[in-house]
Amino acid sequence: MRGIVTIYRRELAGLFVAPLAWILLALSLALSGWVFVTVTKETGGDVTQALRYAGGESLVYWSVMIFLPPLLTMRMISEEARNGLLEFLLTSPVSDTAVVLGKFLAAWSFMALFWLSNILYAATIDALGTTPDWPPVLGGYLGAVLVSALFVSIGLFASAITTTPVLAAFGAFVGSLTVLLLPFLAGLFDLPWLHEEVAAVDVMAHFHRSFLVGVLDTKVLVFFLCGTGVFLFLASRAVEAKRWR
Amino acid sequence: MRPGTTPVNLPPVILAQNLTRRFGPLVAVDDLSFEIERGEVVGFLGPNGAGKTTTLRILTGFLPASSGSASIAGHDVLTDSLEVRRHIGYLAETVPLYGEHRIEEMLHFQGRLHGMSRADRRRRIPQVLEKVGVLDRRRQLVGHLSRGLRQRVGIATALLPDPDVLILDEPTSGLDPLQRIEVRGLIRELAGDHTVLVSSHILPEIEAVCPRVLILSRGRLAADGTQEDLVRTLGHASFVRVELEAAGAQGAARRLRELPDVISVEERDGGPGLLGLDVRCDQDLRASIGGLARAEGWTLRELSWRQATLEELFARIALELDQEPATAAATAATTAGATEATA
Repeated sequence: MRGIVTIYRRELAGLFVAPLAWILLALSLALSGWVFVTVTKETGGDVTQALRYAGGESLVYWSVMIFLPPLLTMRMISEEARNGLLEFLLTSPVSDTAVVLGKFLAAWSFMALFWLSNILYAATIDALGTTPDWPPVLGGYLGAVLVSALFVSIGLFASAITTTPVLAAFGAFVGSLTVLLLPFLAGLFDLPWLHEEVAAVDVMAHFHRSFLVGVLDTKVLVFFLCGTGVFLFLASRAVEAKRWR
Repeated sequence: MRPGTTPVNLPPVILAQNLTRRFGPLVAVDDLSFEIERGEVVGFLGPNGAGKTTTLRILTGFLPASSGSASIAGHDVLTDSLEVRRHIGYLAETVPLYGEHRIEEMLHFQGRLHGMSRADRRRRIPQVLEKVGVLDRRRQLVGHLSRGLRQRVGIATALLPDPDVLILDEPTSGLDPLQRIEVRGLIRELAGDHTVLVSSHILPEIEAVCPRVLILSRGRLAADGTQEDLVRTLGHASFVRVELEAAGAQGAARRLRELPDVISVEERDGGPGLLGLDVRCDQDLRASIGGLARAEGWTLRELSWRQATLEELFARIALELDQEPATAAATAATTAGATEATA
């Protein structure tokens, strides 16, 4: 536990002392801000609609969701395996799992912080006199945080099984995209049973049906937490496997 | 080993038993066994690729052995890895440090990893930084440091938790001669408080710092003992170098061979008009050789006693055990210097 906190603090500090985190943060905020402003203007001031777009219904939103986690996690394991820092961590008195969890929590916190922007927009509007529809805003935030957890864990796993950050980012990007597009990919085959199975792991459908309407479905919650757990488990196995090479 | 400082019944602090590590078909470490007592400073010597780093990695628990076992301070490196890691300070050859942090921050991180309290860290960090001589640079970014300073910060990092066992992999590689001397001095200072295992492929480094030497070649233990022990067991490597004016010294080699205690006489190229002879013997025979020269009327140009050095032993082991002659020659060449090669 102590190890997790130590690694977490180091990774978070590592993210914020490098310019990459700030650049990503600024760029992504600019994008979602642009979506919010554009939709508000086009709908003649429908802020609820604008918040829905900025918080889950636009291509920009899902692009950020797919691109940001890999960029945060790509260096975390692959680069450290190359420059010997992983050897340093794995010969210090913390477990392999603590190393992976600390790194995961750091990238995840960054994402959670990042998605706060939508809440900020809603709060600003609230302060200006128009009350936005809060449940979908908060639900959307929770959903964003949960999907981020899943994608960050996929990113860490990719970083653990590759040898360069670029490869890790690419792998994580493809992995996350595949998870998102599973229903579409399944639709390419004429297999009803497959469609049924895939519907159960349809991230976007979960997102739209549960979080964006402000309803918290525990089934969906469990789905995201389990998915994240699976990839974190795989990542920590992959780190352990690096010892055997 | 320093007699008197080690209580008789304490178990060895580092114990390796029949360690073997394979990477596919390559056997990096081959049935290696050794013991290191508390407080010893041991040099791990071997040509490149002899299995030094692999062995150190097994000891730190980073790499599992294919077979055999090892323990540190009584804890098995495989089954009790976390406990082992609490007892060691390990500096890998690459000197892994977070370049984006300040020296002080790096050390705080290491302290937290080892569960040191804030008060402990505040007390220990200036101490270790002072010891390695970078206290005045503690606010500098690690990424901006020169190779030598980086090395020192690496040693400070390994030292911070005050480990029982300090394992330093090639701590002087990539340093300039002045920095080497500094790092050597540093390791010598640490010797009193810690058990230190230092690896190097450069003999003078080890010779200057470590009373006991383990020589590794092709993953096997080629020699183990104090420097004096090893030099003694090297066998007949000491010699008296004789240089005579060739005129009037015919049959000198034969006459010298007849002296008591002489093991052999080898002729070497002494230059124009000169006769060079190396008289192998276990004790200093200069007096009797000088006497013989006077009696025979030879004109002596040089008469000197050359004692065997660890370097020669190392070169021999590298030459004998290495099946690739090119590598061995290169190794021998890099270690040649202080004395002339005799092999």
